[in-house]
Amino acid sequence: MNPVPINDNPFAGDNSGIQQRETAARWALRIGSYIVVIITLAIMLHIFVKGAPVVFRTQWPFVNTQFLTELPATLHVIEDQQGNHIETDVNGADAVKKKLGDNFRAEKTISYSGGGILGPIVGTALLVVVSVGVALFLGVACAIYLSEYARHGKFLEMVRLAILNLAGVPSVVFGLFGLGAFVLTAPRFVDVPAERSVFSIPFGFTTLSFEGWDTCVLSGGFTLAFVILPVIITASEQCLQAVPQGFRETSMALGATRWQTIRYSVLPFATPGILTSSILGIARAAGETAPIMFTAALAFKDKLPWQKDLPPLPADASIFAHWEQSVSRFLGIFTESVQALPYHIYTLAAKIPQNEYAERAQYGSVFVFLVLVASLAASSVLLRKRLRAKYRW
Amino acid sequence: MNSPTTPSRPPLRSVLLRSRKRTILGVDPQKLIKYFFGSNASVAIIVLVLIMVFLLREGIDFLPTYQRELQTYRRAGLEFCDIIDQPLQRNQALSSSLRQAVSASLETLSKTARDWRDAAFLLKRQVEDKTARPRESLTQALEKTPPAPEQIEVFRRELGEASAAAAKALDYPAVFGTAEREQLQREFAALTPEVTDLPPLLQTLAAEFSAKDREARTKFASLVQAQEEFEEATEPLQEVVDELKAKALETKEKAVEFDVLETNRLRLLEAAATETDAKEKASLTKEAAESVSEAVNLEKSIQEITGRTAELREQVEKYAVVIEKAAAVLPQDAGTGAARALVNEVREGIPAHAREMRAAAATLEGWRWDKPVSIFSVIGAFFFGTQWITNSSWQDFFGFVPLLSGSLVIAAIAILIATPVSVVAAIYTNQFASEREKEMIKPVIEFIQAIPSVVLGFIGISLVGNLIKDVSEWSWLQWVPGFPIQERLNMFNAGCLLAFMAVPTMFSLSEDALNNVPRAYIDASDALGATKLQTVFRVIVPAGISGILSAILLGLGRVVGETMVVLLVAGNRIAIPDFSAGPGVIFHPAHTLTGIIAQELGEVSRGSSHWQALFMVGIVLFAISLLVNWCARAVARRFEPHKA
Repeated sequence: MNPVPINDNPFAGDNSGIQQRETAARWALRIGSYIVVIITLAIMLHIFVKGAPVVFRTQWPFVNTQFLTELPATLHVIEDQQGNHIETDVNGADAVKKKLGDNFRAEKTISYSGGGILGPIVGTALLVVVSVGVALFLGVACAIYLSEYARHGKFLEMVRLAILNLAGVPSVVFGLFGLGAFVLTAPRFVDVPAERSVFSIPFGFTTLSFEGWDTCVLSGGFTLAFVILPVIITASEQCLQAVPQGFRETSMALGATRWQTIRYSVLPFATPGILTSSILGIARAAGETAPIMFTAALAFKDKLPWQKDLPPLPADASIFAHWEQSVSRFLGIFTESVQALPYHIYTLAAKIPQNEYAERAQYGSVFVFLVLVASLAASSVLLRKRLRAKYRW
Repeated sequence: MNSPTTPSRPPLRSVLLRSRKRTILGVDPQKLIKYFFGSNASVAIIVLVLIMVFLLREGIDFLPTYQRELQTYRRAGLEFCDIIDQPLQRNQALSSSLRQAVSASLETLSKTARDWRDAAFLLKRQVEDKTARPRESLTQALEKTPPAPEQIEVFRRELGEASAAAAKALDYPAVFGTAEREQLQREFAALTPEVTDLPPLLQTLAAEFSAKDREARTKFASLVQAQEEFEEATEPLQEVVDELKAKALETKEKAVEFDVLETNRLRLLEAAATETDAKEKASLTKEAAESVSEAVNLEKSIQEITGRTAELREQVEKYAVVIEKAAAVLPQDAGTGAARALVNEVREGIPAHAREMRAAAATLEGWRWDKPVSIFSVIGAFFFGTQWITNSSWQDFFGFVPLLSGSLVIAAIAILIATPVSVVAAIYTNQFASEREKEMIKPVIEFIQAIPSVVLGFIGISLVGNLIKDVSEWSWLQWVPGFPIQERLNMFNAGCLLAFMAVPTMFSLSEDALNNVPRAYIDASDALGATKLQTVFRVIVPAGISGILSAILLGLGRVVGETMVVLLVAGNRIAIPDFSAGPGVIFHPAHTLTGIIAQELGEVSRGSSHWQALFMVGIVLFAISLLVNWCARAVARRFEPHKA
């Protein structure tokens, strides 16, 4: 007697072709998405492995203070007859050569690779401060209009379309715009208008001349502000929309005006979110290179923006003169051109011959830059998460 | 009883409706606040308009400026010379092919000998490099007067030891036998700076090679001779052309100088006319008078050039005859298959080249120096020009095609790579991934957006370039067209990095599109018994296709507009990519619309034609970005699923 074949569970899924195909496709999709993740992590790891040794030290204070606190300089590498390499800066080179005497063999100079990257860090910080200041003001005001005042209509549609298009404009075109608008045309107060001035309005004691701000922090900052404007507007509008409609209705029902409603019932709840999202704008502004290439950045500068030679005041100068000089020193920061981290990296990567010393400066700068930008982005994401948990309506 | 008089109260109705509005300058402050925000909202529109205005302001003069330049180019006779000179360039390409054929043929006999010689010389150089320091010390000691014998002795011993060690440590290739290896080692160890003669074995090897080379040259004598003849054939013609070119250039320079002085004079006169101070006025007028220069008699100098048309035509005819003869005697028996192919290519190329030269010579007669350059031909010269030449001593050309083609090829590579990856990632995270996977994948991909482009460009130079080059040298990948690659920095490299940059944009937009597919579609599909895979690919993806397409378009916009990566990685060679190389063309370097602006704008003076040309490129880029945005919106609307 044949054994009765044991029937499988009729409700079990079948292990035939369909199921296998399903699993295979799922795995193909999974592998596809993990490839991106792995490449990203590999790049991060590569920069970390190459860059961290430049920035960190194994002994106290564990950080390469020289790299973070000095201005970029030309690196002099002096080789002696025994094949030792001595690294020094331009001032130390002669002393080392004298000390070596006959033992001196060769000297190599590598531009921009000595010293540190304090200049670029300061420059980037200044650019970010200006650009985020301008962009936050314009962007939040625009978002308030879009979310609180605007009615459906032609104007609203145009504004939305303009924001979309602005987000798509290539960064190098922003650079051209900044060059044409801020560097060469923006209005400023001068005593005698320059020849290139488009037109000037005399006021008697001074003249408002449309002759541009030259390449400086202000020009670069304004240019960057328009690059990040769409990001800020979109993020702020989302935050404003997230405030429950009921808050507004309650406020209006109590007789508050529209502005009072916005001021006391909407903005206080939206501000943390707006600020958090604007950190993303900061990261973007810090990372852009093309817009500042012609508007603010310099390849090399041996001074910080506030180290300016002003004529020394006479000993009996009045307090007012001192005050005036410090103000002009402060304002002067914004009318100087600066080094910026992304442009510094571009210079290191493209403008000087590659060797081990240049590579060290490159990876060090890239590592610091990436850590700054990434920590900004990460803090924005984390803060947003916490805010979401806090304001749950 | 007097009822107490109730104080008269205004009726409730009027209290409630009483308007207590304060006004500022007759306007309601609430309205003012509203207008304030409204005007800020219009900033986006204003900025777009301003971008257009400033780009046009700096760039629009390009057309007239370029028209003037092209006019001078024609009037001074430069164009006349180029009619012959441009097709003559083809000669170089042909003779380089021929040279390659010759060396390939010669190699069939002399390759072994040459490899031996080269390997031995390479080894010698390595030894010398390694012992550079003691060698230098010894040389210095030898040159010193008076000589210090014991010091020299010390250095000599040092050098001997170093050389022996270096010679021992060398990695001898397999072509050398044991005996030869030992001899080389001995000879290298004995190298000293004062003996300049080659060591004996090296001399033998060199002599062997030259003997082989001679033998090969006699064997392929006809080919070698044909190549030499072909190269020499251009000389008489080139001589005439060079003379004419020198003359034309001289005229052009004079004309340009005159233009500069003349504009200067007119400006001074204008200033003098508005100047009120008599003394200033006089000095300005005087300066203007000094700025006068002699106008160039273009007609006279052009006649000196066109007067030699007959001679030029004659030379061209002679040249054509000579090269045709050379083509006829090109031998069939080249050494290798590759050489034969090259020779055949040249044999077919020469008649075409000769025809081209004759046709060019024929057009010389019809050429008129005073024919005006129309604005349309200037527009054509910009948008369809195939040359972008700047800072040239001959003539600057601003042709758009090389840059556009570079940008487009790179963008195509980037989109082809980025689209599948980001769409797959979007489908997976949206439909299949568990919550934990989602929490890992999404932030990582979104983090890519925060990586500054200049950092990615740097990665392209330092990491990806070497990686691609190393991979292209793997022997089992040689079937890939273009492998092994020549340049580390090329369009493929840039395309890969741009694809990486475009992934986050395309990923999040595609994911949004998938998210927006109405729930009912999925439920319906499930209810019909479709598997998950069927639901995803037959229902969800088709329903979200509009969003995915517009995501791809927006990614394209991002890729075309990206600057730093292409500037650093694309290789920056301003030429139309050589599409005859087949798909391997993607491993060639190129330049792009964005890269050229970033690279050259810093170095040109304001208002020059070059400056204006770069702004024109900016205008085109701006237009492209608007167009791409518009397309993305149109696509998103066109394929929008009907909301359930």
